[in-house]
Amino acid sequence: MASLDDPGEVREGFLCPLCLKNLQSFYQLQSHYEEEHSGEDRDVKGQIKSLVQKAKKAKNRLLKREGDDRVESGTQGYESFSYGGVDPYMWEPQELGAVRSHLSDFKKHRAARIDHYVVEVNKLIIRLEKLTAFDRTNTESAKIRAIEKSVVPWVNDQDVPFCPDCGNKFSIRNRRHHCRLCGSIMCKKCMELISLPFANKLTSASKDSLSTHTSPSQSPNSVHGSRRGSISSVSSVSSVLDEKDDDRIRCCTHCKDTLLKREQQIDEKEHTPDIVKLYEKLRLCMEKVDQKAPEYIKMAASLNAGETTYSLEHAGDLRVEVQKVYELIDALSKKILTLGLNQDPPPHPNTLRLQKMIRYSATLFVQEKLLGLMSLPTREQFEELKKKRKQEMERKRILERQAVLESQRRLEERRSDLASHAANGEVVSLRGGPAPLRKAEGWLPLSGSQGQSEDSDPLLQQIHNITSFIRQAKAAGRTDEVRTLQENLRQLQDEYDQQQTEKAIELSRRQAEEEDLQREQLQMLCEREWEREREQFRAVSLHTRTRSLDFREIRPFQLEPGREPRTHLACALDLGFSSVQSSTAVETPSPLSALEPVSVWSGPPALGQESFPQSTVLQQNELASLNPFDEEDASSPTAEGTSSPPAAEPSFGPSARSLKEYNPFEEEEEAVAGNPFANPDSPAPNPFDEEDEHPHQRPSSPPVPGNPFEEATCTNPFEMDSDSGPEGEEPIEEELLLQQIDNIKAYIFDAKQCGRLDEVEVLTENLRELKRTLAKQKGGTD
Amino acid sequence: MNVVFAVKQYISKMIEDSGPGMKVLLMDKETTGIVSMVYTQSEILQKEVYLFERIDSQNREIMKHLKAICFLRPTKENVDYLIQELRRPKYSIYFIYFSNVISKSDVKSLAEADEQEVVAEVQEFYGDYIAVNPHLFSLNILGCCQGRNWDPVQLSRTTQGLTALLLSLKKCPMIRYQLSSEAAKRLAECVKQVITKEYELFEFRRTEVPPLLLILDRCDDAITPLLNQWTYQAMVHELLGINNNRIDLSRVPGISKDLREVVLSAENDEFYANNMYLNFAEIGSNIKNLMEDFQKKKPKEQQKLESIADMKAFVENYPQFKKMSGTVSKHVTVVGELSRLVSERNLLEVSEVEQELACQNDHSSALQNVKRLLQNPKVTEFDAARLVMLYALHYERHSSNSLPGLMMDLRNKGVSEKYRKLVSAVVEYGGKRVRGSDLFSPKDAVAITKQFLKGLKGVENVYTQHQPFLHETLDHLIKGKLKENLYPYLGPSTLRDRPQDIIVFIIGGATYEEALTVYNLNRTTPGVRIVLGGTTVHNTKRQRTRQRHKQREKQAPYEEPDRGLNLRTPGSLPEPEADTQPLSHPGVPPLEF
Repeated sequence: MASLDDPGEVREGFLCPLCLKNLQSFYQLQSHYEEEHSGEDRDVKGQIKSLVQKAKKAKNRLLKREGDDRVESGTQGYESFSYGGVDPYMWEPQELGAVRSHLSDFKKHRAARIDHYVVEVNKLIIRLEKLTAFDRTNTESAKIRAIEKSVVPWVNDQDVPFCPDCGNKFSIRNRRHHCRLCGSIMCKKCMELISLPFANKLTSASKDSLSTHTSPSQSPNSVHGSRRGSISSVSSVSSVLDEKDDDRIRCCTHCKDTLLKREQQIDEKEHTPDIVKLYEKLRLCMEKVDQKAPEYIKMAASLNAGETTYSLEHAGDLRVEVQKVYELIDALSKKILTLGLNQDPPPHPNTLRLQKMIRYSATLFVQEKLLGLMSLPTREQFEELKKKRKQEMERKRILERQAVLESQRRLEERRSDLASHAANGEVVSLRGGPAPLRKAEGWLPLSGSQGQSEDSDPLLQQIHNITSFIRQAKAAGRTDEVRTLQENLRQLQDEYDQQQTEKAIELSRRQAEEEDLQREQLQMLCEREWEREREQFRAVSLHTRTRSLDFREIRPFQLEPGREPRTHLACALDLGFSSVQSSTAVETPSPLSALEPVSVWSGPPALGQESFPQSTVLQQNELASLNPFDEEDASSPTAEGTSSPPAAEPSFGPSARSLKEYNPFEEEEEAVAGNPFANPDSPAPNPFDEEDEHPHQRPSSPPVPGNPFEEATCTNPFEMDSDSGPEGEEPIEEELLLQQIDNIKAYIFDAKQCGRLDEVEVLTENLRELKRTLAKQKGGTD
Repeated sequence: MNVVFAVKQYISKMIEDSGPGMKVLLMDKETTGIVSMVYTQSEILQKEVYLFERIDSQNREIMKHLKAICFLRPTKENVDYLIQELRRPKYSIYFIYFSNVISKSDVKSLAEADEQEVVAEVQEFYGDYIAVNPHLFSLNILGCCQGRNWDPVQLSRTTQGLTALLLSLKKCPMIRYQLSSEAAKRLAECVKQVITKEYELFEFRRTEVPPLLLILDRCDDAITPLLNQWTYQAMVHELLGINNNRIDLSRVPGISKDLREVVLSAENDEFYANNMYLNFAEIGSNIKNLMEDFQKKKPKEQQKLESIADMKAFVENYPQFKKMSGTVSKHVTVVGELSRLVSERNLLEVSEVEQELACQNDHSSALQNVKRLLQNPKVTEFDAARLVMLYALHYERHSSNSLPGLMMDLRNKGVSEKYRKLVSAVVEYGGKRVRGSDLFSPKDAVAITKQFLKGLKGVENVYTQHQPFLHETLDHLIKGKLKENLYPYLGPSTLRDRPQDIIVFIIGGATYEEALTVYNLNRTTPGVRIVLGGTTVHNTKRQRTRQRHKQREKQAPYEEPDRGLNLRTPGSLPEPEADTQPLSHPGVPPLEF
């Protein structure tokens, strides 16, 4: 409970946990959060997420614990379940395993090799260019030879007695031939010839890609030369016949090989097979589907829900469009499948397999996606859906309005609350302490019938309402609505059960508290009416809750040990229940808010009804007692109590709480925050102060400085009890203690079940103390 | 610590990195198996991988419009094949991934072969093991040992597989091994050596508690693989044999053609995933539910599709229905075959006696039961031999050991020589002399009490009394109570905390019963993650084969060697028909390649 130590600013309402902006309703907060803070700090997000989730899934016991203990302390008991049966599939997110790249190494080695290869190829092609750069047919063979020799130095005849390729001895018959590209010698059999068109193809293709390697002066020549060459090759068929090979270039097998490889590369670069073209089209269509289909699905879903965001026609068009793309995919893939089937020779089996697989995957794709396309409602259906939707929206709007109203009211209350603090000189830092008069405004509009609120539990009402809703919904045949409503109902009933128990505890506690208050009031009077004071003093001296400093020294402490643990417990209980309640409050914000106007806080300030505010004061006292410091000033709770009833007791102030419950802890903090201030300020907790306070809260009952006591005694039904004196208090305390003991026992059991041993220890300690106190008390009363 | 996911991630990464376009996956024999365990054909098709080729296949066509993704083990042959491939590339561009550490010199020779600059990527992706289940892996090595010592080839393969596993899971573990096994120690040392050598690779983010690698030897628990199992996966493996998720049903009488070989993969078969760890009786009822469910969904043939809405509903449900029908017929066939085998071989009775032999210490009743079953004509010679093996292992040193008598019975029953020889082979392999710990008699007071209590309570299920020895070992390990004198650490450092991430490796193979144990331990012990691995995944037959290896028997192996996953020929794939309308096209049963 870090917040206990934090005396800083305390605010409540639909505050954004990140920027503390105050928002009007839960819906607004949610949308604000989604807009503004999505993607921010994950921790905080985790917190709010868990809060929202908790609110959404009431008491979902498998919720993971995130964020802060305060939020979760009530549900801790369930958490251990979520870590139970660990499924191997649910292990931690796994990253990609280790990898190691050899690419840079590989490239280094390859570069060394490739450079060599590229240089070789380029050399050959440059020479080829030179050899084809002149008009071969019209040049004398001697001259040709001279040019050829100038391109590459020929190997000396005498150095090569045998053909290096086939090993035959050169002789008059077996003459030596020189490769015009590298100058090496081979026999006629091993000699290859390069036709001019082939040479042209190579040189012209390399011109672009290898222009960096070829000197710029040569490239225009080569174009020129090649054109001439090709003409000449056509015109001089006869020259082939006379075995002169003039239009062809002699070369060795190695050079020819290299050139052939090169040619192949060029071919591949230029040629795109049909299948690739079709395949590209196919992929394009698939991409289109991937784009459009989700759009359509969104539309269709929206339309089917009766929304009017999209037009039915538009959606219909889109559907047709998507379906057309599917047909196209189907047609394309079929075409791919049948590619080349009629050719002779038939394609390689692998090609066929590839085609089959493409077709197969296209079929899969269509099946998967097309069937995901939901159908659209017909026009009539759509109208009907729209109507339904409208009703739905209407209902939602009402809820929203109520929520807003509620939050506004809360704001006002809050303000009045702060004002009271300010008046006490306690929380001056908060909003500069509005004038006490404003409180009056805050209270007046709330006046309503108080009687209702007291006799009927809003939860019960809500349950009734929902049952009737269900009946209506059933009659209307809206099954999904019925389902949600039933879910709500179930939750409410759970809630109600819980509250009943809680309320019982609370009630007894409140009674005790009330007496405290009565006594305190008496004390205030004591200041003025000194004679009376002594009587009161006796009563008060038995009481632990009096906080005015004057009495603190005199206050007997024997009850203290018993109280401390109990307050801890109460604290725990409150936390637990309040967080749970917050969830229901979100589930059914409207019902609670609907009831709210009737609820407690509206009590008209008539004297006769004063009892009510008092009871809240008592509650506040109770709240204050949650504070482990247990040092709150009795006067401040009266102010706070009106605006911040204990969250643990929704039956009484569901309205205010339904808001507050989103932030159950603020309350606590508030109580706590107030206290540190209270202490320094309260050295002179002048009873007058407190008296002045009361009027502020109940503006219609103007300060009657003379006789608040009177007023209390004669009108407040509770007062009678307390008047009966301290004797009446003991049995209640005892009952309470017993209850607490039972509760603690339950808690210990729970904690044990979940294996939280440290908690068990603390609780057992508490239990022991409680028992001791009980025994002591019994001894005292007996 | 999900091995299936680890491998799958590697494969996905490869495919992603190669970008869009038609692709071919070039693999070797082993990587084919590795990939097929984690990816189904339809899944991988969606990533534009249309062809699957073996690097060693000769008649691959030049298809320059395809990109090649090569996933290969870094063996000498593969590197040679790849060099040839790169000299005359058949595809436009090559993305090369090795499943393990490759030497610098190999990279160099590859680089020099790549004259046409077709290689775009060279990486090591450590998916060098067969991921069977998320927590179970295998290396598919049979006969990893010669006698008590490693076959050096298999030792290096096992080391590679194990280090690849560690790398793929990003774990740099402390190593413990079973002291009684020389093989375990050798393997531990080899793994350590690799970790030291490739220290750069093994630099992962430190976890609070370092992971632990525990290396065990099968000979410590020769019982478990000999028992009949009753969980679905284990039964299928024991009775039909699972090989890389495939089951050969061709021996089933009257099997239809398309069910000759079925695929059981938890990755995409929901029924199998949900039921693989359930026992046979539960499967029975589940399959009944499945059937009923199916019956409900089954469109009634007679029922006329009267309205357009009816037709639409039918069309929309049809693929789903078709898929379901595939699942249903598959499982019904498998379960049907299982139950046929069970009754034919009288397995329930056999199993009961097996369990008694394994778990109880009543010699006379055990002997009686074994003898009785040996007389039963329905019990196959194989099962009979198995019973005697169990008897021999358990009562090896019993005062009134009547093994010779049982051997006589076996001979009288006509059990062939090779089976009878196995009995002594098993005892030699996993007998008391070899075992580092005692399998049968409980050692400490706690265990004795446990057994006593068990005796009092009676046994819930007579067929599943046996808990593999591994359970106890792991239990102790998790609790930090595993004795260091039996399972020492390799190296000076020891683990002070309780281990969290545990990798168990069993030399000589793991069993599905042990996989079940690990699965349950993972489920019940939060914070502890265990992965089990073995040189193979056993059934009784394989165990036997391996033991024969040990004996170095000359006779031809009874068991056909592990068939490699041959890439299917195009004809064997369910072929999409060119003229089918997409709407009415049958749904896709999960396919394998």
